[in-house]
Amino acid sequence: MTFKRGQRIEVYRRSSDEQWEDYMDSFVGCHGIITDPDSTINDPDALVEVSLDGKGTHRLPQESMRLLDD
Amino acid sequence: MKNRCPVNDSVATLNRALDANALKIPRNRRVAAEILQLMQEIATGASGYRHIDAVSALSMELTATGEEKAAADLGRYMLTILADELESLHSHVKTHNCPTEECERLTPAPCQMACPAGIDVPTYISLIGLGRDAEAIEVIRKDNPFPWVCGLVCTRPCEFMCVRGRIDTPVSIKFLKAFASERALSERNYKNPEKAPAKSEKVCVVGAGPGGLSAAYYLALKGYTVRVIEALPVSGGMIMVGIPRYRLPREVIDREVAMIEELGVEFQYNTRFGTDVTFEQLQAEGFTAFCFAIGAHQAYKMRIPGEDDFPQVLDAIDLLKKVALGDRHVPGRQVIFIGGGNVAIDAARTCLRLGCEEVTIAYRRTRTEMPADAEEVEQAEEEGVRLSFLTIPVAIKGEAGHVVGLQCEKARMVKQAGSDRLSPRPIEGSDHFMPADVVISAIGQQVDHTGFKELEGLTWTRRQTLDVKMASMETSLAGVFAVGDAVTGPATVIEAIGGGKRAAASIDRYLSGLPQPQMPPVPVRRGRAEFMEVPASTKMILRRPEMPLLNLDRRRTTYQQVELGYPENAVREEARRCLRCDICRRCGVCVEVCRDKMKIDALHLGFLDFDHPVKTDFRLTEEACIACGACAENCPTGAMQIEEKNGERLLSLCGTILNRQKLVNCQTCGATIGSEKYLDYIRARVASQAPVSTGGPVCDKCARAGKRTRKLPVSNL
Repeated sequence: MTFKRGQRIEVYRRSSDEQWEDYMDSFVGCHGIITDPDSTINDPDALVEVSLDGKGTHRLPQESMRLLDD
Repeated sequence: MKNRCPVNDSVATLNRALDANALKIPRNRRVAAEILQLMQEIATGASGYRHIDAVSALSMELTATGEEKAAADLGRYMLTILADELESLHSHVKTHNCPTEECERLTPAPCQMACPAGIDVPTYISLIGLGRDAEAIEVIRKDNPFPWVCGLVCTRPCEFMCVRGRIDTPVSIKFLKAFASERALSERNYKNPEKAPAKSEKVCVVGAGPGGLSAAYYLALKGYTVRVIEALPVSGGMIMVGIPRYRLPREVIDREVAMIEELGVEFQYNTRFGTDVTFEQLQAEGFTAFCFAIGAHQAYKMRIPGEDDFPQVLDAIDLLKKVALGDRHVPGRQVIFIGGGNVAIDAARTCLRLGCEEVTIAYRRTRTEMPADAEEVEQAEEEGVRLSFLTIPVAIKGEAGHVVGLQCEKARMVKQAGSDRLSPRPIEGSDHFMPADVVISAIGQQVDHTGFKELEGLTWTRRQTLDVKMASMETSLAGVFAVGDAVTGPATVIEAIGGGKRAAASIDRYLSGLPQPQMPPVPVRRGRAEFMEVPASTKMILRRPEMPLLNLDRRRTTYQQVELGYPENAVREEARRCLRCDICRRCGVCVEVCRDKMKIDALHLGFLDFDHPVKTDFRLTEEACIACGACAENCPTGAMQIEEKNGERLLSLCGTILNRQKLVNCQTCGATIGSEKYLDYIRARVASQAPVSTGGPVCDKCARAGKRTRKLPVSNL
């Protein structure tokens, strides 16, 4: 899955990626908006920037997120 | 459970003591400020268990001071809190839960939360709306030393989270910031804050990009001696050599870097870390902490035949750098770019300005998958850049040492097994040749490790970026911190700035022997600007202004700034669209009270819900609202207000006038008893219980005095 700017997502699971830190566990279940995807090659492995409602903006592995239906 | 939060209370007490200058001895003030910082982190869920120990140790230090009673009292107060309220403190630290919900009241607006640097957007937008541009810049620079740069090139996550976007379009936060910065600089009101007294420690920042410079700025403000070493001959890093001048004029960067230099930060250019100067040499010079902000400047290879065979095969990031440093040679007549990201677009538009006759971007997927910003793509096409979609480069062809073109295949998008992602697959027999005399790759950049190989113990991620804890930007080496693209890979300017600010705070803690936070800090609200009064109809009608652009002929031929900026009247009007989410927390209590308790349902505030916003219309309130004030009475933050002014009752939400009704006075004594609609509402509510006076309106007091038996006064619910 790769994401595009402005898409609404849910952090639905923690990631086993080495750059997933413990504090990110509290983001699971949060909804947000993709603010800076990989803007070079749409790499599904890239960390993408996401603004989470009430939790701030963070760079997370894409495997932890899924798209929200509008 | 008590209703007061001990954490929140202690933050307030410490703030009061510091604001009132109650502690006169500098050492005591510093200790109190450190306790305050730790308590603020406990209040915002950014703490670890060592925070409580550190607060305890610092409080004892204050208590032990024999020279100042106020400091000893403050220390004893904190020790009492720690002794009596330890359970509550643990709840804040362990579960990030404030049992009283008091701390939640400090939750910043969504735009501020979204900003990686945590800028207090609603406050500075309000100040801009009030024409107080210099104050707005002062607020911004508490969290970001580059307001003008960000006003021109920020990716604006704030606007994605802007609640106004749930009604129509987000407030144009970025462009308002650019206007205020330019105006404040022009009027010579763009000033640095006062520095803290000088400290003895020296910090070295490696890399003069936005992340490194932000760290340098905040460290200098804290009183540290800071030296920035930079491989290039100029400051700015990627914002100087990766962003073309038609988007970000050099003068903008120079002016904001000059403000950092003014704080005493020393710059050492043309100095590559690991080559021109080593870690050991810097340590020997007395630097005790380091911040690596080396960026990601090394282009990826395309790995196709011919890539290394011709001098006319370039990489886009190198081309942008050369042009930024003054090289204006035309790379060729016919240029093909490979890639579909922002760097490809920036470099292609740069080539047009250099005089290339034909500039084509070959991208292997479709326009929908193109990762570059849609606005940038649109502007590039307007200027004449051609886009060739579903085009896979196969080989670069040349003759006599010169590139003659690119061998390509056409692609179609197919779903791969086990994935819902569409991938390009070559179409058999679709080989074709695209003539070109220059081929430029723009498929991404990585961190250049040169110079860091000797640094034992420094760990890297599998993405070849520096491995840090994002809350503190600490690397695996004690005293070494890292920020910017070197940590995140190619990312945004504002993320680098936010990282730089966090690193500065962590370096300060490291040098002060304080524990590091366990999660990134929650942004700090910098003020509570007064509301701007706006009629509901104006609030709904105002539209986000279009950005005026330079004419196309100039855009194709010069490096003049393409976006010309809003005129002043558009800026002031745009600021009035802000919903002031720093005050209105969108809790919905007002809507519930109006609908469920009062049974009126006058508030149509569909924007309150993040996931499923429905229609909002401030104008509709006036139709049903009786100006009873129940919504304002129950509003927990003072966002909804009711006031009586000039014979009218006004209901407003963060300054937006939702209703205005004439007040009715008691016919006997003249006292105000409410609006006509409100009185009608009361009459209807009590009609079933007792007859209501049919005469003119009378207040409670006069009704009783007049002994109108068995008739209820209309002002009484």
